[in-house]
Amino acid sequence: MKRRQLLQSIPLLYASPALFAQSVARIDVSATDVAGKPLPGFFSPTQLAALRKLSELMLPAIGGSPGAIDAGAPEFLDFLVGQSTGPVQTLYRGGLDSLNARATAKHGKAFSALDAAQADAILSPLRQAWTWKEPTDSFAVFLRHAKADILTATMNSREWITASQRGGNGTYWLPPE
Amino acid sequence: MPVPTYDVLIIGSGASGGMTARTLTAKGIKCLMLDAGPTIDYDHDRVSRRVYELPYRGFGQPGRFPHVTQADEFNANVWADEKQNPYTYDPADPYYWVRVRRIGGKTLVWGRASWRMSDYEFKAKDHDGFGDNWPISYSELAPYYDKCEPIFHVSGRKEGLPQLPDGVFIEDTSTDSLSLTRFIKAAKQREIPTTKPRRATGALASSLNLLLPDAVATGNLTVVPNAVVRRLTVDKKTGLVDGADFVDRHSREERHAGARIVVVGASCLESTRLLLNSGIANSSGVLGHYLFDQFYVKSTVQAIVPEARDGKGAPGLMGGSGYIPRFRNIDSKAKDFIRGYSVDFGSGGTPGAKYFPLYGEALQKAIASHGGTGFDATTMGSVLPRIENHVSIDPVVKDAWGIPALHIQARYTDNEFNMARDAMNTLDELCHAAGFEVLEKHDQMVPPGESIHELGTCRMGDNPKSSVLNRWNQSHDVKNLFVVDGSSFVVGGSQNPTLTILALAMRASDYMAEQMRAGNL
Repeated sequence: MKRRQLLQSIPLLYASPALFAQSVARIDVSATDVAGKPLPGFFSPTQLAALRKLSELMLPAIGGSPGAIDAGAPEFLDFLVGQSTGPVQTLYRGGLDSLNARATAKHGKAFSALDAAQADAILSPLRQAWTWKEPTDSFAVFLRHAKADILTATMNSREWITASQRGGNGTYWLPPE
Repeated sequence: MPVPTYDVLIIGSGASGGMTARTLTAKGIKCLMLDAGPTIDYDHDRVSRRVYELPYRGFGQPGRFPHVTQADEFNANVWADEKQNPYTYDPADPYYWVRVRRIGGKTLVWGRASWRMSDYEFKAKDHDGFGDNWPISYSELAPYYDKCEPIFHVSGRKEGLPQLPDGVFIEDTSTDSLSLTRFIKAAKQREIPTTKPRRATGALASSLNLLLPDAVATGNLTVVPNAVVRRLTVDKKTGLVDGADFVDRHSREERHAGARIVVVGASCLESTRLLLNSGIANSSGVLGHYLFDQFYVKSTVQAIVPEARDGKGAPGLMGGSGYIPRFRNIDSKAKDFIRGYSVDFGSGGTPGAKYFPLYGEALQKAIASHGGTGFDATTMGSVLPRIENHVSIDPVVKDAWGIPALHIQARYTDNEFNMARDAMNTLDELCHAAGFEVLEKHDQMVPPGESIHELGTCRMGDNPKSSVLNRWNQSHDVKNLFVVDGSSFVVGGSQNPTLTILALAMRASDYMAEQMRAGNL
């Protein structure tokens, strides 16, 4: 169609009431979490391995419920922390490195290779009663935040909500005009 | 198109702006309302979503709201964008300024708590000698409280307490759960009063549905969203304000709106920022000073009701909520602080995972065992108005529209710290007396501002040398300028301030209309 013909057609199109009456059906679309798998890229392979081990310990698969690994919590946190501010990134990287350093110093292997009892000894700060005042030790601070984040990332996942038959619904405010 | 003329220009559409519009338009007064934010179609601009469909699984976009702890990924688009609307503070004294820029303002998301203040606040200096009294007494505002409560369908229970005057309530006749009954009994044994929550009810209790529709229906209100007011303008011959310069939020077109009277209700600190940027109404030098709020100690105690574990609680054991009104410094004198605090308490929640020093399967078992066993109490304390807590215009930082930003300087002092400690110890004692098991107690306040109850900085008073507004929320310096929001407070209590803001705005509007009728404005 030449430009002149196109321009001539516009008033006719706009003048057609039938066209306005036509409804266009909405199509259902899905969130990205159903398409493929995440590609972790923020943490180093050893840090990510430690985070996976920590996630498995924090929230294992229990009964019929998926655990943190099933929910992709470590990979999601790799994405989330990668988007976060510098202090959060430093806290996580330092904490995961510390897990590996403590495991290597005591058992000669990475945190991801420890058995449950060995890992539990390293995670002893989590057995301290929680207080509103943050610990002064950065490793304890990391464990406190990682525990909360792993639980949230898991319990807000499609896998967890579907299995637990929780609604997981909320009222979302659309962006303003 | 001829430029329409208006009697009154109202800046802001929240509690105070909405009440002003409702009151004035009902008397036939033509009003123009400008709001910096967009309007909202409440039924269509909010949709149901599953949390895993959100980009950040409910965590929210990292770094988007460093000062808005109330923001989550569902409601993130309600809050004012912090990058577009910056402000500054000394890093040693962080201030959390929480704003909403939408038609309806913060009443779109408020907690609905609706308490009256009393002469323990209006005449606070008479009780303890600190600071200044309001120029008005409770009896002068009471008729307006009487009118505001029915508009907001406030429910509550009458108690006859002098420090928490009763109102025109939808009577709350609900019975307390057994766990709350134990707590209330423990309080009563120590002469600590309790009552039911007093709240606005309904699906939405906002200026958007309770104030603005009535005003629009009169045909006397024109609402213009996305109008960011830059400054108020002054007629050089008369010294009176004659309107406002504003910028369209989208197009950035600069415009001027004129009116006979200007009412500022843009929220406490935005109103003061506007006056400071306009260079008016400050012959006293106190504009921006005496900033205060209520301090919050969230979950001062988190306890459990032991016999409710594992779902073994008797029917009616758990559930419900209540309120402890201020009780310190009423009939006796506290040792190391003046004024007092209130407490919101509730039964029946599940303590968060953080309270259990466990992980893995043991943690999940503990959470399951404690489902619905929780008792939680949050303290809200009175903050003293001090001249050194103030706002000023930042000499460098500007917002997205080139309007100079605010610098905020506020910190709490020993009076607040001592009050918070007293609250913690008192609540701990009450919980133990009620047979609860306390998981954690603390007295750590949230940063100033986080309660979203910022008050003062444009206070009223009878003396033009020490106050910005007179007893009618009218500028001492500029007679056709009124400021009707929380910035006009002289003293705040531990009560949430919205109901008082509504009553003040209605009272100021009645006065304004009468002065217009008499030809004085």
